[in-house]
Amino acid sequence: MSREMLDTCAAALAAAKKAGAKDAKATLAKARFVDIQYRERKPETIKEATTQGLYVEIYVDGRYSAQSTSDLRPAAIEGFIANAVAMTRLLAEDPYRSLPDPRYYQGRSSADLGVFDPAGGALTPEQRHELTRAIEDAALAAGGPKVISVTAGTSDQLYEMATLSTNGFTGETQSTVYSAGGQMTLQDEGDRRPNGYYYVSTRLRRDILDPRTIGQRTAQRARDLLGAKKIPTATLPVIVENQGVGRLLGGLVSAMSGGSIQQKRSFLADQQGRKIASEQLTLIDDPLLLGGLGSAPFDSDGFPARQRTLIERGVLKEFFVDWYYGRKLGWEPTTGRSSNLIIPPGRRSVAEIMKDLGRGIVVTSFLGGNSNSTTGDTSVGILGYLFENGVRTQPIAEMNVADNHLKFWQKLAEVANDPWIYDSWRLPSLVFTDVVVSGV
Amino acid sequence: MEETDRRTFLKGTAVAVGAAATQTLDGWTTLATAAAPNPFEAEFGINDRLCGRVLERALAKGGDFADLYFEHTLSNWLILEDGKVNQAYGSVDLGVGIRTVKGDQVGYAFTQELTESAMLRAAATAASIADQSQTPAATAFVPARLASYYPFQKLLSAEPLQAKLPLVQGVNDRCFALSQAIVKVNAWLYDQQKSILIVTSDGRKAQDLQPRNYLSARVVAEKNGRREQAAWNFGGRRDLSFYTPELVERLAKIAVERVSLLFEAVAPPAGEMPVVFGPGLTGILLHEAIGHGMEADFNRKGISTFATMIGRRVAEPSVTIVDDATNPDLSGSLNVDDEGTPGQRTVLVENGILKGYLHDRISARHYRVDPTGNGRRESYQHYPLPRMRNTYMLGGPATPEDVLKGVSRGIYVQDVSNGQVKIGEGDFAFYVSQGRLIEDGKLTAPIKDVNIMGNGPKMLANVVTVANDLALYQGGAGQCGKAGQGVPVGFGLPTCLVKSLTVGGVKQQGA
Repeated sequence: MSREMLDTCAAALAAAKKAGAKDAKATLAKARFVDIQYRERKPETIKEATTQGLYVEIYVDGRYSAQSTSDLRPAAIEGFIANAVAMTRLLAEDPYRSLPDPRYYQGRSSADLGVFDPAGGALTPEQRHELTRAIEDAALAAGGPKVISVTAGTSDQLYEMATLSTNGFTGETQSTVYSAGGQMTLQDEGDRRPNGYYYVSTRLRRDILDPRTIGQRTAQRARDLLGAKKIPTATLPVIVENQGVGRLLGGLVSAMSGGSIQQKRSFLADQQGRKIASEQLTLIDDPLLLGGLGSAPFDSDGFPARQRTLIERGVLKEFFVDWYYGRKLGWEPTTGRSSNLIIPPGRRSVAEIMKDLGRGIVVTSFLGGNSNSTTGDTSVGILGYLFENGVRTQPIAEMNVADNHLKFWQKLAEVANDPWIYDSWRLPSLVFTDVVVSGV
Repeated sequence: MEETDRRTFLKGTAVAVGAAATQTLDGWTTLATAAAPNPFEAEFGINDRLCGRVLERALAKGGDFADLYFEHTLSNWLILEDGKVNQAYGSVDLGVGIRTVKGDQVGYAFTQELTESAMLRAAATAASIADQSQTPAATAFVPARLASYYPFQKLLSAEPLQAKLPLVQGVNDRCFALSQAIVKVNAWLYDQQKSILIVTSDGRKAQDLQPRNYLSARVVAEKNGRREQAAWNFGGRRDLSFYTPELVERLAKIAVERVSLLFEAVAPPAGEMPVVFGPGLTGILLHEAIGHGMEADFNRKGISTFATMIGRRVAEPSVTIVDDATNPDLSGSLNVDDEGTPGQRTVLVENGILKGYLHDRISARHYRVDPTGNGRRESYQHYPLPRMRNTYMLGGPATPEDVLKGVSRGIYVQDVSNGQVKIGEGDFAFYVSQGRLIEDGKLTAPIKDVNIMGNGPKMLANVVTVANDLALYQGGAGQCGKAGQGVPVGFGLPTCLVKSLTVGGVKQQGA
């Protein structure tokens, strides 16, 4: 299969050359997936398909464009690319646009990243139905009398990709993803019907949590929302639960890209080497993590995967700089975007930490909100619960946290020991002190 | 069926080059009328007989109905960065989605190959949702008669590149000319043309050609070592005649004026307070606070906060809210939805009374009502769900000045960038990129970057004054996400006062 995919890429490059392109890069991606959902103990949806797409980057006369199509027959590819090259010639020149210097392609690890299940993604139809049914059954059993609706879902996906460039890059990957989860709606007071969900993704089928645990946690997350209320505005310690940390960190990471720095839209542009967070914050990007959902042997420029420390004990060390923006900035490129982002876990559990904090809030999810990458200002709605001396006392909703990232991360007091492993960003719960939480 | 050669039309790269590409697109540029030829028949031999055979296979194990959704879409981006239009991206997408429906159960498969064998395979997969014996499918299909809510002379995607490049360049040049403080401008033109054909097992078919495009500006300004950014766009289902030099000038002015104002912004307040919404894009308020909760799939499952409220008084008599496919040239306008139901206007709230949900075919059968034309999908890769179109509140009796006069201390919302809702609780939020403080009935210092929250039914009950200045958002970038599917939508609002919402600022009141 993979030989055939590289051949298609080679045909695309030949067509680009024939049409007059100086350079080109072709990427062929294929995917096969099956998604099923259960509700009321019967299949609610079954969805299945195979997709394919060819993505071609064209460099001609100092000009650049990229085009994609799903028609892979040789004659179709040739016509499509000839037209793309002709169109590219009409754009303005861009002296910074080129394929990377081939020496940057060197040094690729051949280690097995554990991202491909030998079963190739294929569950039998019976296995899929059995797994999904089991999640629904467990959620219903744990939901209690207030259940209005439960949906359980599973998905298995197979990805294949081949890339070839005219200056010597060749790359192929094969990977699988298995997902399983549930969501539950409960009847609360009046017209409130809180909805909780729990969802995991893994590279290997054997790493999926058992369906009973998924169902039980789905029910637990829904029940935790019952009776949620606003409380008066207060300054409190706030623990952001592992699954929610990515949302907060996203505002910081978006300002770390070479593109936002070069386009003057990054509040971190002048902060390299400075302390932008408390010493508790170390942030690592590791594309070689075994079984990671973001693991890959090379990045979108073709640079070999390498572990990088972006923030070390609060000090900003590195940015995400791809080949193009590296050239524009006059900087050495690193990698264009995050793969597996890791905050190394701490020693204590959230339960232990809560005991020491007196009165505080655990944030379990967010509502709305955004972050301004130019200024670092952020404001986001929160849901979760209030605790006192380690004991949960009151679910909260319709409350908000607002700050500037450059101030907020200085308030990070502790990192918990519970990284969320079902996402490419493997982040543990984080503890912040003196956070203004606005409510009534 | 014979395997038809797709080469002639797929070689049309997404960005049209002069006359050559226009020619290859001609088959797809005919106006959407019942009498127009079916482009999928011309290119692939997709005729009634073939559709009948595929639909029969989709109902091989029973089911209430099945449908086919053929789609061919070209998308183009022309992008300016650092003073020049030096990036272009394009895509060609083609496929058919096949759906089998049994009660509220859906089997779905799609294929990118429009051959009979590939379609029959996909149909067999969709059929697996059911487990009984063959349901008969129609073999002849009556074309739907549709209105034309976005007529065009020539598709923007069929215009030569030379006609489009000056628009993008013009945005850049005008922004820099308008203010010395501007340090970066990004400008881009997005245009898409989507051709669809829907064929249903109950003997109906419909086709449409849906343009979608916008011209966008994002600027960064610098003053005294501080930086701010702002963005704006104009678009919808337009043709080239919309993108005049005057429009380019207006776009540049709005972006530059907004970024300049941000340097004067003060810390936004925190806590519950009255909020006045300016007209236009602020209609995102309705999209989040009521629109999603009125999508009938959530109600048929009992999981929306509005599930038991139909017929109840939910707002003052001055409040009427609609979801409308029929506004000329707006992003959410539709001649036909993605299940073949003609575009129409649906009343959500009439004079304060909650009237009806937004239906697709599945929920309409459940509630025994007619579908409302809200069955929409991102592409042939997805099955349709009840979705909004252009959602807005009709104007009321007050003037905008009256609305402000009633507020001694509060905030005024001018621009909103994004929002979210929890359907079951009705709790929603939207992010204010720009606004003002209101002090003693007057607009004072600018504010920015603040999340505002509320609860849908409570918010509706708290709409106390509605002005006569309804404005519909004239941008094209409005997009709504649900279940992993994005569809273009529109918004609108007259100036109105909501008595109390939670403002997520940094400055505690009285502090």
